[in-house]
Amino acid sequence: MALPAPRRFGAVNWRGLRTLVWRGVWRYFKMAWHTLGGPCISSLLLLAVFVLAAGGAGQMVPGIALAEFLVPGIVMFQLAHAAFENAAFPVLDDKLEGMIGDILAAPLSPLEILAGYVLPAVASGLMTGMAILGLGWLFADLRLHDLGALVGFALAAALLFALLGTFIGLWADRWEHYAMAENFVILPLGFLSGTFFTLSSLPEAARPLIALNPVFHAVGGVRYALTGYAETALLPGALLLGGPILLLWLLLWRLFATGYKIKP
Amino acid sequence: MHAPSTLQHPPAPRLIGRVNGRGLWTLYVKEVRRFLNVFTQTLLAPMITTLLFLAIFTLALGRSVQQVGGVGFAQFLAPGLIMMAMVQNAFANTSSSIVISKVQGNIVDLLMPPLSPWELTLGVAGGGVTRGLLVGLAVGLGMSLFVPLSIHAPLFVLYHAVNASLMLALLGLIGGIWAERFDHIAAVTNFVITPFSFLSGTFYSIERLPESWHVVALLNPFFYMIDGFRYGFIGHADGSLLVGVLLMAAVNLGLWTLAYRMIATGYRLKP
Repeated sequence: MALPAPRRFGAVNWRGLRTLVWRGVWRYFKMAWHTLGGPCISSLLLLAVFVLAAGGAGQMVPGIALAEFLVPGIVMFQLAHAAFENAAFPVLDDKLEGMIGDILAAPLSPLEILAGYVLPAVASGLMTGMAILGLGWLFADLRLHDLGALVGFALAAALLFALLGTFIGLWADRWEHYAMAENFVILPLGFLSGTFFTLSSLPEAARPLIALNPVFHAVGGVRYALTGYAETALLPGALLLGGPILLLWLLLWRLFATGYKIKP
Repeated sequence: MHAPSTLQHPPAPRLIGRVNGRGLWTLYVKEVRRFLNVFTQTLLAPMITTLLFLAIFTLALGRSVQQVGGVGFAQFLAPGLIMMAMVQNAFANTSSSIVISKVQGNIVDLLMPPLSPWELTLGVAGGGVTRGLLVGLAVGLGMSLFVPLSIHAPLFVLYHAVNASLMLALLGLIGGIWAERFDHIAAVTNFVITPFSFLSGTFYSIERLPESWHVVALLNPFFYMIDGFRYGFIGHADGSLLVGVLLMAAVNLGLWTLAYRMIATGYRLKP
């Protein structure tokens, strides 16, 4: 009896990559209560308390209603957070439970493994963001000004935070490390980013600092795309997102290739 | 050959009076050490998150909202945020403790020892109350760096801090016993505890709500705990202080009885 011949594949193991990506996306759907339901509720709560607390007094920017200003910010905040969480959690879980061995043993190149973790996280971030944008549209009169900016900045933010999440997942030895990164890095980056306030409401000294925060530019870009209001120039923001993405991608490629904390 | 003398005179069982003081204390200390061990997650993280909330709200609304309840926006906001952090953490402490014990199977270590149901309730809830109060203290100290906090009525601050923490610790205990997986407790946190703590006047005066919601707010214990606690700081309350004090006591009595019954009958705890 003839043995089945080994499957041949070319430069890219597409079937392997597809399997890995689908596994991540499926995980997101299976846990939709947490991955989607939780962010939706907390976004609506944030929007509600802001609008109620402002009590009609608030127009952050003349001509733009408070909800219109806030929805793009909240969408991007949740998108970034979801991309982070859905990258860091699976990487760390696979590592701690030992399942990462199954992935390392499969005929997948380091680049394919990296993509296999990052792409589902990007998709998770985008799906969470879209759901919240859909909800936000019910409460805010948003108009699409620039589809390119919307897609570009949303994709960039999701990619950046999926990469950050993958990095944290690789670096962390325990769940506590993951929680620390989330509480002390990701949440402050998300909250202190112009999600909820304008640059001009900040003290003079803090303005250059916030301009270094990539979330600030992601929020700015998407807010421009949905309201037509831009606080800063878009191009430097795009570069400030693109640079770290490229660097993190190369770093992580290298880390998966050398087996940092995942190979004995 | 001599048998070891301990076999000839086995140690007498420890006599326990009405209260197993040593057991109760051990359980309480275990519950407290459980969260102190990871204090970056259980004390520091809530403090940072709450300070971030304070920052974004005052930055976003500080200029347009000058006065709420007769004080500046930040002074109005601070007590509400402290209370929010306290109740979320009191709930998280007891609920996670029970669910983890159940999922990992070491809940028998709570059920086997000679501890009566009310001692179990008190020990676990006491851990949650301690976490709530410590988080409140940490958040309050952190905030006092940025917001001038003065205490108008210390007894109200204390009463509502303890009762709110107790209420949520008991709710966490009840929720933890009810839940069969981590999912369940995460769902309760996301869909019940967080909405209640957000929408009960932490961030705005109840006058902001549409008229039809006032009735709902006036039946909501979360509203009274925040309102009474805030009164202790700023000397202004939206609702009735007396109703708040009585309602909190009544709710806690009811929750205590429920938690006690659940443990005594072994609901979802004993096979």
